[in-house]
Amino acid sequence: MLDLESLTPREALGRALADLGDLRRDVVVLVADTGETTRARLFAERHPDRFFNVGIAEQSLVGIAAGLALAGFMPYALTFAAFMTRAWEQARNSVDRLALPVRLVGTHAGFADAYDGPSHQALEDIALFRVLPNFTVLVPADSCEVYRAVTASATVKGPVYIRVGRDFHIPATCGLYDRFEVGRAYVAAEGRDVAIFTTGITLSFALEAAQLLRDRGISAAVVHFPTVKPLDYAAVEKYAASTGAVLAVEEHMVHGGFGSAVAEYLAQTRPTKMAIMGLKSYGRTAKSPQELYQYFGLTPENIAARAEELIKLR
Amino acid sequence: MERGVSSLEGLVCKARRYVVLMAGYDPGMHLGSSLSVLETVAALYGTGRLKFNVANGAHNRNYFVLSKGHAIHAVYALAAAMGYLTVDELRETGSIGSRLQNHPETDTPFVDVPNSGSLGQGVSMAVGLALGLRLRGEPGRVYLVTGDGELDEGQTWESFAVAAHYNLTNLVTIVDLNNVQLDGHSEEVLRKGDVAGRFKALGFDVVEVDGHDVKEVVAALEKAENNTKPTVIIARTIRGRGVPPIEDTAKQRISRDDALKYANDIC
Repeated sequence: MLDLESLTPREALGRALADLGDLRRDVVVLVADTGETTRARLFAERHPDRFFNVGIAEQSLVGIAAGLALAGFMPYALTFAAFMTRAWEQARNSVDRLALPVRLVGTHAGFADAYDGPSHQALEDIALFRVLPNFTVLVPADSCEVYRAVTASATVKGPVYIRVGRDFHIPATCGLYDRFEVGRAYVAAEGRDVAIFTTGITLSFALEAAQLLRDRGISAAVVHFPTVKPLDYAAVEKYAASTGAVLAVEEHMVHGGFGSAVAEYLAQTRPTKMAIMGLKSYGRTAKSPQELYQYFGLTPENIAARAEELIKLR
Repeated sequence: MERGVSSLEGLVCKARRYVVLMAGYDPGMHLGSSLSVLETVAALYGTGRLKFNVANGAHNRNYFVLSKGHAIHAVYALAAAMGYLTVDELRETGSIGSRLQNHPETDTPFVDVPNSGSLGQGVSMAVGLALGLRLRGEPGRVYLVTGDGELDEGQTWESFAVAAHYNLTNLVTIVDLNNVQLDGHSEEVLRKGDVAGRFKALGFDVVEVDGHDVKEVVAALEKAENNTKPTVIIARTIRGRGVPPIEDTAKQRISRDDALKYANDIC
């Protein structure tokens, strides 16, 4: 049995694709000189005839993936999330308008690529793919969820964007549920006073924050949304109603991303006291993602403090 | 049915009339570009290489990618000339309810790769399609039509490099080189340099033809289809061919009266 917890997120990605390639003959994988860095190599080793390297050319990557979809294949195109967004207009015009089953996988997302600095740190990708009407957007939290989300993505009819990190992760979902369902939120902790909504790696920060809050006598629910689009509106509504205070936390700009998706829904259905934690500026070069989370304030302590404030301001 | 060249020339003539006629009704169409590419489209459809009566998604056939999607009226006109569209429908082109939109869309008839309105993207999709057909073991070819203006888009060269690298002999590329783009003559807007040389440097074989000589275009297609290397056909054309006031200019629009007058002059 594959020990997903021991894999890095990108290894989980490569393994998931290689295994998917065993199950489905229509799966093809494309990279933009990123076969090694995305670990698509794991697919290429097992399915060399269905692997294509198009060179350092993201627009071409997305367009060729669209062409392969027109020929009846299910292409997974992989490159750094920061550079996938360079081909946003191709994602719009060549993929989304045709609702083709193209899967764009953006790796090294958020602060995962600490070494390379802000040019390589995608903090806008959720917003950019969420706005396209036909795209499904998956933001897994850890290696277990990367493997499961990639596997589940094959069942989606239209295009999918999958946001993946690099090597750093904090295992949090391996025992959280048995089956990954696209469009479903998972309750990681029950609570009455405030609901912390997470996507991606912020799940683990929120779980720690909930523990800190518990020590202060505050009961915080943690609800995890590995699918940002379609958002699990029932879960949003339920926890907004039961707690009356929603804090959304994401490793992404605070504008247009996951928190915005929650806010858009609540503002139009059940206006709820809400705060969004994330980034408001570009990243920095650092020695590790953890250093960046600290520097930019995405920490359990800050999440707990913000949750407490939200409750008091009610 | 294979058509002889004389009837191909007749088809071109009839289709050119229809393109000009449409311009009298649809101020939003790209008249000049549709007129330059017409013989190329006729060489593809008029010889049976491409068929108007094929359902999208059918296998074991050839595919068409009009990457310079704004010239789609050349396809509509040829379809009408061959009896697959009525003149009544042509008059409706560009209307909100018409299937004959001003760029290839998902509901546009006779289009394998819709949404090629954004320049450069059809080239990549054609390359992906050709890769996919080869991977499926299908014998079909992909005929890709691009323009010299479109070659400004870096994406086209990204994907042509892939076509050369993977030796996609099932991709036949035709460049409608009409020397004019939106802002004027390419020499003034952005020099293209040695277009044939740029393709040769990537590893393509290049065949240069008079793009208004349908015989030459057909001969070049035959050559490309029998080549063991990917081939680019450079079709030298005149934008606006057949409508003197807009020939070799960036002009797109003519009045309905002028459209009817020039349509009559054509054949």
